[in-house]
Amino acid sequence: MAAADSPSAALRRRDLCSRGIRLAGKMRSDVVDLLDTYVERQGLDASASVAAVEGVPVAAAERWDEQTGTQRLLENLAAYRAFRALLAQMLEEQREQLGEADAALGRALAAVLLQVSAFTYHLEELLRLESRGPPSEEGAGPPPLPHLGLFERKLRGLGVLRELAQWAVRSARDLRQLAKPGPGSGSAPSLAESP
Amino acid sequence: DSHIQYERVGADVTMKCGSMDWDAAVTWTANGTDIDESHLNGSYLILKNVDLTQSGQYSCYEGSSWHLKYQTYLRVGMPPKEPVLMCRSNNYPKGFYCSWHLSAPTYIPNSFNISVIHVTREMVCEKDVFPKNRCHIRYLQLFSTVKYKVTLTVTNALGKNSTTVTFDEFAIVKPDPPESVVAKPVPNNPRRLEVSWQNPSSWPDPESFPLKFFLRYRPLILDQWQHVELSDGTSHTITDAYAGKEYIIQVAAKDNDIGTWSDWSVAVHATPWTEEPKHLTTEAQVTETTSASTSSFMPPPTTKICDKGAVVGSGAVAVCWTAGLVLAAYGVLFI
Repeated sequence: MAAADSPSAALRRRDLCSRGIRLAGKMRSDVVDLLDTYVERQGLDASASVAAVEGVPVAAAERWDEQTGTQRLLENLAAYRAFRALLAQMLEEQREQLGEADAALGRALAAVLLQVSAFTYHLEELLRLESRGPPSEEGAGPPPLPHLGLFERKLRGLGVLRELAQWAVRSARDLRQLAKPGPGSGSAPSLAESP
Repeated sequence: DSHIQYERVGADVTMKCGSMDWDAAVTWTANGTDIDESHLNGSYLILKNVDLTQSGQYSCYEGSSWHLKYQTYLRVGMPPKEPVLMCRSNNYPKGFYCSWHLSAPTYIPNSFNISVIHVTREMVCEKDVFPKNRCHIRYLQLFSTVKYKVTLTVTNALGKNSTTVTFDEFAIVKPDPPESVVAKPVPNNPRRLEVSWQNPSSWPDPESFPLKFFLRYRPLILDQWQHVELSDGTSHTITDAYAGKEYIIQVAAKDNDIGTWSDWSVAVHATPWTEEPKHLTTEAQVTETTSASTSSFMPPPTTKICDKGAVVGSGAVAVCWTAGLVLAAYGVLFI
């Protein structure tokens, strides 16, 4: 494996970041479309507030601009591994609940799941390039669901997709930071600086 | 003693002459001018259905000694109506600002109080020195799905009113327009104009938070704009300009991923390069002028027709025409 700071590794990193940014952009666009479909098919109110749900990775970050490249990658990887499991769960629930009655929603969920899986792999590749290697997936999978009623499961699904849409935006920003030349790859103006 | 008294437009106002008895002989003045006794009830001054013109200094003097017994400054005004509040981030991801105004004047001093709540936290909104009706907030978190709730309360001596807006972090992102827009002709190219611009200076980190741009242009003689969306770069070459016609050009900006388009930039004008006219005899000049008119206003190449408003391309450049533009171009030639 090339050293993390060798020219070829730097080129590879920039290439992976560029492709990752495009992946994240496409993923976000598809998640936003999926959100519209999900809200409509599940009979939900698009403006409904959903409280933070255990096991759903929250995109919100304090001192985001101060994170190192490795921190960004690790947080992204943990999030997308969780989303991969959550979406798989949603897909299974949707099939059990509706069977083949709503194939369109199932297909859209499956397509986003595929993109999340691809993005997860992308992040693992970037971590390998950092000479770190991705952490093992110990305790993988979302926490076992308490027995939720149908409506609660629908709301949870809404929360998952909303948070995933935020993550897709954040990931593109994270990868742009990572693609910047220089150590740390995270030299955006501090949020603490006066405007 | 002197003080300020606030009264609502249309109210009936009764002023007492300090500690003077009701039946004391007094004289009232308004801004130094004696007030007619018909407005007095004993020593009380009665002003019915006051209006804005009756604001001023009212003084009461003891009848015989002309000692000043009471003075007040009457300010006639209105309680505040619901204020208008907007919040916007033109410097994402640093923070956002909120600005406000009253939809109708109150004619008396107002004070404003703003509260910004995110999750359970109250955030500090630092008031700007100028303009006075604005304050700014620094983001403590980014990428949050929790909405911000901003409440503005306006208070004056006659009442108070408030308004609340709630919004997502992404929804209020709107950059300032691009700066330093320049449009130049391209030598030896009668159909081209080179346009360049800069990121708005208020956008703190265009490298990490890149902007995309929307360019619109039209010849001055036509009303229909042509639009081009550009996903990167701060320059573009227009290749389908009408030869010899002056163009007006503007650019707008938007964060690549979130928020809304900026306002249009300051408009710039440019005319494509034209060949220097040759020196001719009188007869030849007539012929030349006629043929030059017919050839200089060539219709642009036929491009994709799309619906009005469908101006956003994907990836690279998308150009829209309306069929009427071609016909209008020929029509203008013969005006």
